[in-house]
Amino acid sequence: MTFAQAAEAHLDDVYGYLAWFTSDRFAAEELTGVTFERALRLWHRFDPERGSARTWLCQVARTVALDHFRSERRRTRREQLAAPLEAVDFRFAEGLSPDLEAALARLTAGEREVVALRVLLDLDATGASRILGISPTNCTTRLNRALKKLEEALNVAA
Amino acid sequence: MSPRDVLAELREAQVAAPADVRERVRLLAAADPTTPARRFTWKRSLVVALPVAAAIAGAFVLTRPSHHVKDQLQLAKAPPVLSTQIQHGSAAAPAFVPSARSRVQIVGTTLSLRIPNAQGVSDAVKRAVQITTSLSGYASSVHEQTHGKTASADLTLKVPRAHVQQAVSRLSQLGTITAEQVSVTDKQAGLNATDREIARLQKQLAATTGTKQRAALTSHIQSLQRSEAQLRRAAHYATIHLTLATPPAPAKTRHHGPLHGVGVALRWLGIGAVYALAIGLPVAIVLALCWFAIRLIRRRREEALLGR
Repeated sequence: MTFAQAAEAHLDDVYGYLAWFTSDRFAAEELTGVTFERALRLWHRFDPERGSARTWLCQVARTVALDHFRSERRRTRREQLAAPLEAVDFRFAEGLSPDLEAALARLTAGEREVVALRVLLDLDATGASRILGISPTNCTTRLNRALKKLEEALNVAA
Repeated sequence: MSPRDVLAELREAQVAAPADVRERVRLLAAADPTTPARRFTWKRSLVVALPVAAAIAGAFVLTRPSHHVKDQLQLAKAPPVLSTQIQHGSAAAPAFVPSARSRVQIVGTTLSLRIPNAQGVSDAVKRAVQITTSLSGYASSVHEQTHGKTASADLTLKVPRAHVQQAVSRLSQLGTITAEQVSVTDKQAGLNATDREIARLQKQLAATTGTKQRAALTSHIQSLQRSEAQLRRAAHYATIHLTLATPPAPAKTRHHGPLHGVGVALRWLGIGAVYALAIGLPVAIVLALCWFAIRLIRRRREEALLGR
């Protein structure tokens, strides 16, 4: 598989993962570009025997996203002193109910990440745990916890 | 809403990358030099290089003879320097014994011969004594010892100086010469000095009238004459130290089995493993602890970062 083929096949997955992870469309677009730039540089390290291209691209995307979160935290700390940031209106996906969108927005980034990997990208526990750097059991626990929070939020909204 | 409904709704969600992002990634992919995956990565090279290095080291250890065996082989294969004389033993002529019959000289010869077997040593001893006797000489001492298949004999032979060359020549035919030494000490000058001293004392004796003085001079003159006669007698016979010996028993070489090399290699591997364990284990434990600590800290920070 060439890089072009991998990029074509998994662009939406990477973008969706980053969009749900960051809950920020602009950031997701930017990070998707950065992810594929970095992936192109590191493509020679990709070993198909160790995992699929999608898993590998998501690992790269996660590293990029974590860097983004760290810089965002530093920026937020500085800027919140001057003026509190305004919430940006963001839609996670087409076809989701407003209540579910709101419930997703209330999840933490870590919880949204595991939902994105396991539900949106439909990765199995092993693949998702490899991206997250945790055990499959821990990954399933995180997913259940996130789904429970979603359910509670939806029940409250109902 | 049930959890199943939540999951179903989430699964139906479709997220597509915007067109500008898609275009950007396409441009990136188009810039890909499409270098084929490197077949020889450093990991793969290591996987090949390590067994090869181990095989080379193993072959080196297996094919290299141990010092003990090497020394034995050298002893067995490399005979003494005189081994060439053993091969050309008959051609090795005995050394010439320079001797001036008119002068008083002490001639000493050391001759070492190699005899093929123990019986040959015994026969050679008898023959050496016969040769000595036939040349008007005599055997001063004979020591012979036999130990299994090996035997040796040490003879001190006294042969008239006039026949020493002939004696050495005949004795050397008893076996193969392995060592030979000739020493000639000229005593003529000393004897001449003694003669002059005696002549001086005799003149002094003729001129002396005192009884005591004459007795002392006479005694001194007689003493000098005795030592002179003793020296002349000693110089009349040449001393031949004859050593007869069978070849030394070949050193017992240890015949190692075909697995000896493997055993040596395993032993060295074991020693290396013990050293590596003793030195590497504490280091490995510290490194592992550091790795766990770093991983824990990083995960905690990550959870804190994503927990907002």
